[in-house]
Amino acid sequence: MKKRLAKNIFLNINPIKKFRTIKIQIDFLRPLNKDEMTSRRLLANVLSNSTKDYPSFQAINDREMDLYGSEISVYTRNLLNFNDLAFSVEFADPAFLIDGKTQIKDNLDLLGEVIFKPNLNGPVFNDEAFSTEKRNLMSNLLSIKDNQDLVSSLGLIKLIYRDDPNRQVPIFGSVEQLEKLNNDDLLKTYRDIIANDLVIINVVGNIDETEFLEYLNESIFAEKLKNDRNDLTISFSKFDDLIKNPANQIEHKHLNQSRIGLAYATEGVSKDFNRMAPQVMNLILGGDDQSQLFLQVREKNSLAYSVSSTYQPISHLVTIQAGLDASSIEEALALIDAQIAYIKNGKVTDEQIKHAQKVMLTRRKISTDSIQYYIMRSIWETIYPQTLLSNQQFEDELNNLDKKHVASVASHMHAIAQYQLIGD
Amino acid sequence: MTEKLQKYTKKLANGFEIEIVPLPGFNQVYSVVMANFGSVDTKQGAKTLPAGIAHFIEHKLFAKPGYDVSEKFAKYGANSNAYTSYTKTAYLFQTLENPYDNLKTLLDLVQNPYFTEENVASERGIINQEIQMYLDMPEFVLEQRILEQLYPNDPIAEDIAGTSDTLQMINQKNLLQAYQDNYRPSNMDLVIVGDVDSEKIENIVENSNFQTLGQPLEKTFNKLTPIGPGGQEQMDISQARSAYGIRIDIDMSGYDLVKKQYEMNMVMETLIGESSSNYQEMNRLGIIDDSFSYNVVAENNYCFIIISGSTNNSEEFQEYLQKHLSYESLKAVLTDTKFERIKRDAIGAYLFAQNSPEAIANQMAELYFYGVDYLELIHMINSIHRDDLLEVSEQFLKDENCTYYNLLPNRK
Repeated sequence: MKKRLAKNIFLNINPIKKFRTIKIQIDFLRPLNKDEMTSRRLLANVLSNSTKDYPSFQAINDREMDLYGSEISVYTRNLLNFNDLAFSVEFADPAFLIDGKTQIKDNLDLLGEVIFKPNLNGPVFNDEAFSTEKRNLMSNLLSIKDNQDLVSSLGLIKLIYRDDPNRQVPIFGSVEQLEKLNNDDLLKTYRDIIANDLVIINVVGNIDETEFLEYLNESIFAEKLKNDRNDLTISFSKFDDLIKNPANQIEHKHLNQSRIGLAYATEGVSKDFNRMAPQVMNLILGGDDQSQLFLQVREKNSLAYSVSSTYQPISHLVTIQAGLDASSIEEALALIDAQIAYIKNGKVTDEQIKHAQKVMLTRRKISTDSIQYYIMRSIWETIYPQTLLSNQQFEDELNNLDKKHVASVASHMHAIAQYQLIGD
Repeated sequence: MTEKLQKYTKKLANGFEIEIVPLPGFNQVYSVVMANFGSVDTKQGAKTLPAGIAHFIEHKLFAKPGYDVSEKFAKYGANSNAYTSYTKTAYLFQTLENPYDNLKTLLDLVQNPYFTEENVASERGIINQEIQMYLDMPEFVLEQRILEQLYPNDPIAEDIAGTSDTLQMINQKNLLQAYQDNYRPSNMDLVIVGDVDSEKIENIVENSNFQTLGQPLEKTFNKLTPIGPGGQEQMDISQARSAYGIRIDIDMSGYDLVKKQYEMNMVMETLIGESSSNYQEMNRLGIIDDSFSYNVVAENNYCFIIISGSTNNSEEFQEYLQKHLSYESLKAVLTDTKFERIKRDAIGAYLFAQNSPEAIANQMAELYFYGVDYLELIHMINSIHRDDLLEVSEQFLKDENCTYYNLLPNRK
């Protein structure tokens, strides 16, 4: 069932029966804004700390346990050029419980509490909730420096989005912004989000659609989600300047292992272009344990334990990551170049193409064994349906793909950024 | 209530156990072969093996004469992987098609070692990089250090992958010997989750070729030494991390041990889980952040709890836990309502796991070695009473069972 509750408030219910849990997810979206990254993330943490009727962290956790270990989750993430504040509850399907009669309604109400009934003390959030979560987030942000894979990937992202200030602050915020955030401002942020963000509600699992709609209409959601919301405009990052003038950075740290991160812009999709070609090219380059990078950098030359590439379909970027000895970096970089050249020069074998086609199809079908797949697909259908392929389109594009398509992607790869974290 | 999962079980004459669980509606077939051999098993009979050898076998079993097994899995449309824990080594695949060819490949993987001087040498470089990667992770280093305090000079305190030095001691000969001593059908099991024909599976396994039959070499465990006094060190990190360890020396195995693990988890959830007043208080005092967690491990000869997280004050972290982890504290908070909640949470977690073929297969394969049927876990949970938790806490929450370790930021 798909329903529009107001302008830019969407409800999608997928009554699929194969899972033993049910998930309700509500996404609040607005354009990425560097000044809101930290406040939205802190808000996610404060709202999941406690609510009006469950006024302590302990009380809300007790409630989750009462409902057979329901999992409330609130977080922010990048979705296209939007900041997505996502709330969800996943809970045991009452069909598997002896006394789960009110399970669906109870969980919907609990999620409604978290989103719409914050734990307030007068005109601000409860001080304990605010200060605890602010301290927690500060601690998380400081700990990032101790996670070298994250340091390396953030270092690369900063270079890739050198010219886009709204992407310079990570989605989980920054220490500098957090230090300045106060309780009054956070409540203003909250009210603004609840009143204005575009909203997508997804429900996936063994659920009677009519019954759920009745629950929803009787719940706080009906009262709070009836006003029209802002439109969203999709935009894409451009990397033209970086293509002409790539960004490179080398940092040194006292570490056992060095990390390298490389980014390449690829040409966007055009009419005579195979839509699966970039993903297949990425798979052959570094997407699995049969890939060129895995076989040449790791297996043949024993230079790295982890080396891989990923393709991001929205930004059309290919990134490569590896962890290795500082003394091997030059050798590894040369090997990476050689693998790109291998694909560019049309040396990819028919077997490699066949393997990549098979893996792509398998991954797509296996992903449907996860509840999150249905939620993500529904979100894309709502905000950016052009990016989705039907199963038939997906298979047709894959089957029509040949070596030339793959070589063409590699030929149009432009190195735009390189980050090295040298351990010494 | 909707029907629970069903399974088909067959134990072959050579002792190899097969378990098959259909999962209606799911597209994939997920399969795992597990060997009851892990990183702690370095003392067998009169032999002492270098640390990291179980993990090295895991890496190198993929190599076969003229091919790598992962190529074969890829050919049949599967992705494959493997992992080594303290006590087990597991090999797995996930596929949409050719489950029977993939099963043959999985059996080839675990039945036909091909260790050469050359391929062993090249693997050392890769594993050494894996070791270096973990050494940059403070959470991993902290776990090693607290285990060194809980079990001084014991194999469990060694890195699962070994060290750069022990890698040099691993060679073609001791790899093959360790393989032959442990990869025996009676020491292994197979779990398949998905839509397959059980008769075909049985035939394929029956006709496969286990190289060494008979019982595996008996494991010799170190005589346990006294718990270490605790300690701390500086590391190049920006946030301090602390761990509080509790060692529980109980002579228990099989079903009773797994049940004890459930009970200990329930005790910890009551005392320091997210729904406890202690968690909230430690958070309020700024002693912990949301990285705070606990892990209960119950294995034959090793039973311990590690509580750890980032902290602004390591001393207060340790003092708080020492003061509040006690039988008396548990008795004060474990009301019937609280106990019922903890139990419901465990039942929910069991259902959540059944959304995942991977979780079902791996848990089922592991529990087999403890004589526990994964599908009957719900009865085990239901058989636990409030008094069991009080009893277990009285037994193990004692100062003499506890130790600590802190990693402090190097302020240089």
